[in-house]
Amino acid sequence: EFRFGPCRVEGVALPGLWEAFRTVKDAVQVQDNNTSIRLLRCEVLQNVSDSESCHLVHDLLKFYLNTVFKHYYPKIAESNTQPSFSTLANNFVFIVSKLQSSQAGEMPPDKDRARRRFLLFKRAFKQLEIQAALTKAFGEVDILLTWMGKFYQL
Amino acid sequence: DGGEALPAPQNLSVHSANMKHLLMWSPVVLPRETVYYSVEYQGEYESLYTSHIWIPSKWCSPIEDAECDVSDDITATVPYNLRVRAILGSQTSAWSILEQPFNRNSTILTPPGMEVSRNGFHLVIELEDLGPQFEFLVVYWRRELDTKEHAKVLRRGGIPVHLETMEPGAPYCVKAQAQVKAIGRNSAFSQAECVEVQGEALPL
Repeated sequence: EFRFGPCRVEGVALPGLWEAFRTVKDAVQVQDNNTSIRLLRCEVLQNVSDSESCHLVHDLLKFYLNTVFKHYYPKIAESNTQPSFSTLANNFVFIVSKLQSSQAGEMPPDKDRARRRFLLFKRAFKQLEIQAALTKAFGEVDILLTWMGKFYQL
Repeated sequence: DGGEALPAPQNLSVHSANMKHLLMWSPVVLPRETVYYSVEYQGEYESLYTSHIWIPSKWCSPIEDAECDVSDDITATVPYNLRVRAILGSQTSAWSILEQPFNRNSTILTPPGMEVSRNGFHLVIELEDLGPQFEFLVVYWRRELDTKEHAKVLRRGGIPVHLETMEPGAPYCVKAQAQVKAIGRNSAFSQAECVEVQGEALPL
């Protein structure tokens, strides 16, 4: 079960997401030429308070679904890893749907802080050429899952 | 071959129990021919973001039976679209799509099978192995003396587990419930089963 502050999400097995991501990453042979750049930097994910975490994970997962996964899909199709990718993407859809329902009446300051962190990530993404940005962002799903793991309880 | 189109499978439905999901349909019957089928799925992600994308089922692309175990394809608690078509040689029928998307949270959960036994003075239970998504809540008590119930959560079935060291002279009873965190639901409790250690009850 995930507990992002007030937001609880039951029904997702984090180990299953790791397995799905590794299957895809191994097959896609991610060519990330900008190894000095990191989108999910410390300023984005470090010292995130519980109350911020729900907003931040919601914004990040929505971005991954709407932008990264959607436009990265051709590479997924080429690598024949659709089942694993589908597991990852559909569990992100499930998490977002659960977060959305429990975010009502949140404290604005937390929302603003989380928003500023997310915009740091988005700005870094937009500064890269689109294919490079997609490749880097997809490759950083492990950083995202590691951070989400801090809010996960068996 | 009169050049007629191969008929599409009809009457698609999903029968799901204990997180085992079976897509079934009416077979396409052609005299002296073996018809195969191909099954594909798309989760909510695919239908929202890449609706033209369908993924071949892990075990049924192709398959000869008029049913397909899609349990390994359904890996999130979101609605899934499922479709099947018939294949005969180089001919393929139109796709038939399941009328209502299927969500695994609708699976039927039955009380787990269990075997309660005693090994000397030890109360032992072995639960049905229903797979990795299942945990079990086991409740046990000593009848008559007190009705204080004890509970234990078992992370898996298929192995004997020691519950309690029994005292002679009173039956011990056990019941169990299956729990699936992936869908946040439990089964009903099983019927209670009791065992007793023969001999005099120890003086209090």
